[in-house]
Amino acid sequence: MSTALFKHSFKKNWLLLLIFFAVLTMYITIMIAMFDPDDMEAITSMLELFPADLMTAMGFSQFITDLTSYLASWLYGLLMQSMPMVYCIILGNRLVAKKVDNGSFASYLSTPVSRTRIIVTQGLYALISVIALFAAVFGVGVATSELLLPGLLDMDMFLQLNITTMLVSMSVMMICFFFSCLFNDSSLSTGFGAGLPIVFLLANMLGGTSKDLEVLKKFSLFGWYDPIELVRGDMDWTINLIYIALVIVLFIASVLIFRRRQLPI
Amino acid sequence: MIEVQKLTLTYPSGKGVFELDFTIREGEVVGYLGPNGAGKTTTIRALLGFMHPDSGSCKIRGLDCRENAPEIQRFLGYIPGEISFPDKMRGDEYLRFIHDMRGGGNGGFGSRQQELIDMFELDPRGKINKFSKGMKQKLGIVAAFMHNPQVLILDEPTSGLDPLMQNRFVELIRREKSEGKTILMSSHSFEEVEKTCDDVLIIREGRIIHKAAAAELQSSRQRKYVLRSIDRALLAKSLTEAKFTLNAGDDVDSIEVMVPGDAVDKFLKTISAYNIYDLGQRSQTLEELFMRFYQKGGQN
Repeated sequence: MSTALFKHSFKKNWLLLLIFFAVLTMYITIMIAMFDPDDMEAITSMLELFPADLMTAMGFSQFITDLTSYLASWLYGLLMQSMPMVYCIILGNRLVAKKVDNGSFASYLSTPVSRTRIIVTQGLYALISVIALFAAVFGVGVATSELLLPGLLDMDMFLQLNITTMLVSMSVMMICFFFSCLFNDSSLSTGFGAGLPIVFLLANMLGGTSKDLEVLKKFSLFGWYDPIELVRGDMDWTINLIYIALVIVLFIASVLIFRRRQLPI
Repeated sequence: MIEVQKLTLTYPSGKGVFELDFTIREGEVVGYLGPNGAGKTTTIRALLGFMHPDSGSCKIRGLDCRENAPEIQRFLGYIPGEISFPDKMRGDEYLRFIHDMRGGGNGGFGSRQQELIDMFELDPRGKINKFSKGMKQKLGIVAAFMHNPQVLILDEPTSGLDPLMQNRFVELIRREKSEGKTILMSSHSFEEVEKTCDDVLIIREGRIIHKAAAAELQSSRQRKYVLRSIDRALLAKSLTEAKFTLNAGDDVDSIEVMVPGDAVDKFLKTISAYNIYDLGQRSQTLEELFMRFYQKGGQN
C-alpha cells in the first residue's frame, strides 16, 4: 500500500464515483418518494398487465407490500447490481490496463514502489470506493425514507440487503480488476472485464423468466441470492462468505499475475 | 556498476536482443546507438525490470534488475523512450506526485527541481495533455533528474527538444558526469553521443556489433563535402585523380566528396584551382556509420 498512489488514484477517479453516486441517489430517492403503502395493491394489479416473465426477468417478482421489500425488488433486483457493475468495468480498466497500454505505468515503476504495492494499492482503492458508494447510497436511502415515510424502512434488513449487494459488486470489481492486471491491451481488459459481468447479469435476468431457465441463475454471481428472500430474513448468510472469498481469491490472483508479467512499457 | 551478461530477451515476433554482454563502470557515460528496432529499448526494459530476460542476467550495483527493481529505483533516474504521463494532471502536480512516490518529505524537493525547471525553461503549470512533445520531454527530464540519482538510464532523452534545449541537455549530462554519475544513454544522434559519452555501444538487430571509445569513433568518421561548381566535370576529374571517393550529388551541378580526416588539406588544395560557388559539409549519418561497422563486422 502506498499512500501517495492511493491519493493519486482518488484524485483521478473521485469524479467517476460521484457521478454513479448521483445517479443512484436519484433512483433511490425517486423510488422511495413513489412508494405509497395504500397504492401498493394498485401497483401490483398494474404489474399484472405486463407479461409475468418480463416482470420477473426485471427482478420485480413476488407481491410486495412493505417499503423494504419494495426497494429490494424494484431497486436492488437489477439497478443496484447493474449500475455499480458499469462503475466497476470503467474503474477496473482505468486502474491498471489503461496505464500499461498507454505507457504511463512506467512513471509509477520509476519510483521505489514495487509492483506488488502498486497493485495492492489500486485494488484497495477499487474495493474501498465500492464500499463508499454503497455506504453513501445506504445513507441516502435511510435519510430519504425517514424524511418521507418515517418508520416504514426496516433498517436492519435494508443494511443486510446493502451489504450483500455490495459484496456482489466487490466481486464484480475484482473480476474487472483481475482482467485489467492480466492484459497489456486495454481493449482486451475491457472486453473480458465487461463481457463476463454482462453475461452474468443476462444469465440472472434470463434465469428469472421461467422455471425451466432458473438453473441459469446458479451460473451467475448475481443470482446466488434473492433480494426479496434476503429482506424477509430467509437468506443463508454463508452466501456472503462466498462473495468475500471470491474477492480475496481474485485480489491475490491479480497481484501474483501482475508481479510476473512482462510489461512492454 | 551496470552489468549485462548474456542477456537474451525475445518477443513473440522473434525480435528482441540476443546474448548481450556489456559492463558500465561507475562514473562512465556510455552512448547506446542503433537504428530503430535494433533492441535499445528492449535492453532498457530489462534494465528497468519491466521485462525479465529469457536467459542471462542484468544487474545494477550487484542488484538484480528484475527482483530488486524497487531498491534500484532509489538511486536510478529513468527517461522512457516514449514518454507518457497519467491523464489530466498538471506538470507541477506530476512532479510532486513522483516526489511523493519516491518517499516524499520536503528534503530535496524544491531547489534542485527548480534549478532543472529553470535550466530547461519549463513552465510546469498547466495540463500535461496540452503540453507539446518538447514540453513533455522536458518534464520527463526534470522528473528523472530531480532526486539526484547516481545512475541514469535515458532512452532517447533529447527527442522532441529543439537544438537550444538539446545543448542544455548536453550541458546537464556533462555536469552530472563531472559529479561521477553513471549514465547509459540511447540515442539517434551521433553528435550528441560524441559530445557527452566516453564509450559507445552500437547495436543492430539485437546484437552489439561494436564497442568503442567515443573518440575513436569520431576520428574514424569521414567528412563529406558537397561542392557546386560551374567546372563540374573538370573538378570531378581532378578529385578522382587525387583519389577521393565521389558520389553523385542531389542535382546536376553538385558533387559529394568523401574526405578522410587526414586529407582535408589535400582536398582544399585540389579544389582551389576551380571556380566553386558553393561548399557545404554534411555530417555522416548514423545509418552510414552503421553500415560501415556492419560491413566491418561481416568481414572479420
